[in-house]
Amino acid sequence: MIETHHLSKLYSRGLYALRDLTITIGKGEFVFLTGPSGAGKSTFLRLLLLQERPSEGEVFVNGHDLSTLSRREIQEYRRSVGFVFQDFKLIPTRNVFENISFVPEVLGLPQAQRRRKAFQVLKWVGLQHRMNAYPRDLSGGEQQRIAIARAVASDPTLLLADEPTGNLDPDLSLEVMNLLREINAGGTTVLVATHDRELIRLVGRRTITLDQGKVVEVA
Amino acid sequence: MRALDYAIREGWASLWRSRGSGAFAVLAIALAMIVLGALLLTTWNVERLLAQWSSAAEFSVYLQDDASSEQRGAIEALIDRSGVIAGRQYVSKADAFGRFRREFADLASLTEDFEDNPFPASVEVRVRPEAQEDGRADALVRRVASLPGVADVRYDREWLARLASGLSAVRGAGFGLAVVMALAAAVTVASVVRLGLNARRDELEIMQLVGSPIAFIRGPFVAEGVLQGGFGALVALGLLWLGLMAAGGWWGNELSLFLEGGSLQFLPARLCASLVAGGMAVGGLGGFAASRYAV
Repeated sequence: MIETHHLSKLYSRGLYALRDLTITIGKGEFVFLTGPSGAGKSTFLRLLLLQERPSEGEVFVNGHDLSTLSRREIQEYRRSVGFVFQDFKLIPTRNVFENISFVPEVLGLPQAQRRRKAFQVLKWVGLQHRMNAYPRDLSGGEQQRIAIARAVASDPTLLLADEPTGNLDPDLSLEVMNLLREINAGGTTVLVATHDRELIRLVGRRTITLDQGKVVEVA
Repeated sequence: MRALDYAIREGWASLWRSRGSGAFAVLAIALAMIVLGALLLTTWNVERLLAQWSSAAEFSVYLQDDASSEQRGAIEALIDRSGVIAGRQYVSKADAFGRFRREFADLASLTEDFEDNPFPASVEVRVRPEAQEDGRADALVRRVASLPGVADVRYDREWLARLASGLSAVRGAGFGLAVVMALAAAVTVASVVRLGLNARRDELEIMQLVGSPIAFIRGPFVAEGVLQGGFGALVALGLLWLGLMAAGGWWGNELSLFLEGGSLQFLPARLCASLVAGGMAVGGLGGFAASRYAV
């Protein structure tokens, strides 16, 4: 599913965020990416989301070399990738239902289909009763569940989560992890960046540890 | 089609959310459209009147006081034979004096001190429209002016031509001013739309991350500009109409006298539609410029 070969990301002043990274993540895997702050976890996810370009090396997702994609191909690729961020990134001017349904809308789904899809994922995260609420009216855990619902509204084959439990207490963190495990059980490849060792231990999946931009452990 | 529907809905929602700053953009476009609309209103009315006056153009042959009846007969015979006239009328010195006292009643008292009648006799000639176009009327005027007994020949066409030439100059200057104001309005729209765009950075980032087509990302900003432009043009049309009504109320009698019984008319539907389309185009241009910052 994901393959990197000698992947490096060099920022200005000669600072490497990632250095000579060679990783393989299989289709349908659930993998944790961990390491201390500044280890390069978020940079790796940003490269996979094509928010940044690698300085050296190659990234392949589903056999496609990401560095050769055209603008239109990038759009196509991103439609197959879901994402969840620590700060939720919900749109404050839209209610819960609109936050979710606008993803299938901008992907061109007919109204009836996108409404059905939005309601379906809302029900799955257990927040259908909050569909008319605005993000400011929701707790952190609820906001993250909405963010997860939005991420799966486009039926992604790959889900990237950057510190999805960073703003949540342990119970809510485990709840969010259970949702991610359910998504993975449906066949979606899930890559979670987190520095929460306890959570990794509880979930118990393959873990890639980065430090100063290099892989230091795969367990 | 879905992208257009989405763009209009989101553009409208954004316009409503930022209606305070949006009002500035609408006002800027309205000002530009008022200049352009006033120009169109003026030139359209003047052109209409010019066409009306041109179709009824006439020339007057003023006779010398000592012109003999033979000389007058020769003048009228030449005019009648020319084949370019729709009709003619002899106005004697007494008729001319009486007409002045009727038409300029305020000045009539001045004529009481006259010892002699100062108004010359004349032959008023109505010219066929086709004779004006092909130059035969001009040739006749030149020939008549050279006949004995003729003091002067006044041909309406000269001042109509001067008016038409002045109108072209006004149109050129006004159009230039309207273009400058339209550009300024487009810049204002772009600034206002960009303000809204900056407030929606998170939303735009998410749209890009989910792989939204460019039309979905940029479309709402263009639509917002188009809507602002359309509203601005409608405001301008409303104000112009009110202005015309007010002018009619204040100076209706004077205008009617000056326009020989005619009146100023508001722009026809096709020009109103053009003005609204122009406003929408200016707004859309501003929105399009701002939308470049969305991706």
